[in-house]
Amino acid sequence: MNQQPHWFSETIKHAVLLIGAAVVILPFYLMLSFSFKSPSEIQSISGGFFGSQELMTDRRCIKQGLPEEECTMLPIVYNYKAAFEEAPLFRYLLNGVIVTISIFAIQILIALPCAYALAKLQFWGRDVVFGMVIFCLLIPVHAIALPLYLMLAKLGLTNTFAALVIPWTISVFGIFLMRQFFKTVPDDLINAARMDGMSEFSIVWKVMLPTAIPALLAFAIFSVVAHWNDYYWPRVVITGDRDLMTPPLGLRMFKSDMDGNEYGPMMAAATVIVAPLVVAFLLAQRRFIEGITLTGMK
Amino acid sequence: MKYSSYKKMFSASLTYVIIVVPVSVLLGLGAALLISSLRFGGEIYKTIFFLPVMATLLAMAIVWEFTLDPIVGLVNKLLSEGCSVTWFHHLFTGSWLGFNPADSWYGNACMDRMPNWLGNKKYALGAISFIGIWQAFGFNMVLYLAGLTAVPRDLYSAAEMDGAKSPWESFKLVTWPMLGPTHVFVVTITSIRSFQVFDTVEVLTKGGPSKSTYMMVYAMFEKGVKQNLVGVGSTLTVIFLVFVLILTLTQVYFVNRRVHYS
Repeated sequence: MNQQPHWFSETIKHAVLLIGAAVVILPFYLMLSFSFKSPSEIQSISGGFFGSQELMTDRRCIKQGLPEEECTMLPIVYNYKAAFEEAPLFRYLLNGVIVTISIFAIQILIALPCAYALAKLQFWGRDVVFGMVIFCLLIPVHAIALPLYLMLAKLGLTNTFAALVIPWTISVFGIFLMRQFFKTVPDDLINAARMDGMSEFSIVWKVMLPTAIPALLAFAIFSVVAHWNDYYWPRVVITGDRDLMTPPLGLRMFKSDMDGNEYGPMMAAATVIVAPLVVAFLLAQRRFIEGITLTGMK
Repeated sequence: MKYSSYKKMFSASLTYVIIVVPVSVLLGLGAALLISSLRFGGEIYKTIFFLPVMATLLAMAIVWEFTLDPIVGLVNKLLSEGCSVTWFHHLFTGSWLGFNPADSWYGNACMDRMPNWLGNKKYALGAISFIGIWQAFGFNMVLYLAGLTAVPRDLYSAAEMDGAKSPWESFKLVTWPMLGPTHVFVVTITSIRSFQVFDTVEVLTKGGPSKSTYMMVYAMFEKGVKQNLVGVGSTLTVIFLVFVLILTLTQVYFVNRRVHYS
């Protein structure tokens, strides 16, 4: 637009953005770096990114009466080994996978037929029902957490997988999103399917579902990211039982019973918990950004 | 719950929202403007700034806690090393302008000790807000980037013909008003999300020190779930819901009113 040398303004912009990027990256860098280092290097913030990787002895291992050779290892091995052994990190990850996948599967199972009915079927009260869906979209999750918790407690369901999954199974957001998408599917397609003698349910799964794959993928990313990262709800309904904890809650427990010198293992655990989503995001950025910004509608 | 606790809760929640919303919205807008005007490399910054949105907040909060630790934390290490670097010390104590270093915050911190960011009630809310901004602004940036692509290019040439010479003027005449719907959207979303802050408070400060970070959702959790005071918890929930509904209705009002140009 103007005649000033472009390289000048370009350089300034890059400089500003680089400073911002450094601040944003800093905790990720430290997390990864601490997960490689020995306790003394963490305390003194030395050793660069990867640490000097001098062999160290695991004191707990000696206490268990194992020979010294077996207890001597690289800090990086020690950190990750401790993360998986001290905290049942593997169990947490497995729980995270079970919970996020069951939530998503049941959400789809419920949202698709509902969305189909709201978009394509004529029935008495349809607009009222859709109005209720819109209304529910306005209610933030935290506002209904307490009553939900009380109901689950009455039913004796706290500290079960059911408590982690049930409240999220009916996603009004999913219903709304799918309904908007199904609106764009031509009626002729559905009529043709009916002519062929398909039942309404098989129309949902065999005709509508394949057309909705892109919207479904965005919703999947939204749902999985939200529930993998969720800390509030697991914190409310799971008390104490480690076999039910999701990754963020497990990490929290790890933090509260660590004995001061366990930064390395804790950062290793944090890395393992953060990594899956970050890696997936780096591989499929556009899809992820689409999926997450969908939440804007919530 | 005591009256003073309510007062502290409102003050903490509102202060948090008042800090986090404008800063993260403006940072998001700034980043989006810079990135969209770059010739190359924009995608990389976009990816980096979006990382905190994706990452498990609880894990990152714990990393920030280490970083802000008064003794072994990187932030205080760097700050206290800066005390002996002459130009840095001069710059931030204002002594290059002739001020007495002891009068400035940084000069004092150098002589005494660096602050305990999360353990001092003067700084705790600021530190929590900082983490909130760090986490949220990438999300706003993405929304603004989407908004910017919707601004028709020919409006800029029209503005130039009308005498908008500098980039600032064309920003004021075209970009800012054309982003109207995005502003409303971004501001409401960020405010609602800021009211919902929980993870950082629960893991880093537990509402303290002396209730300086005692925010609404944490209060709900502490009273309603932890202490099993269902009545108090429900009261807090209703208050929270009222706040969020006010924000949502404001959004609806603005959306219907005049922010759309099409």
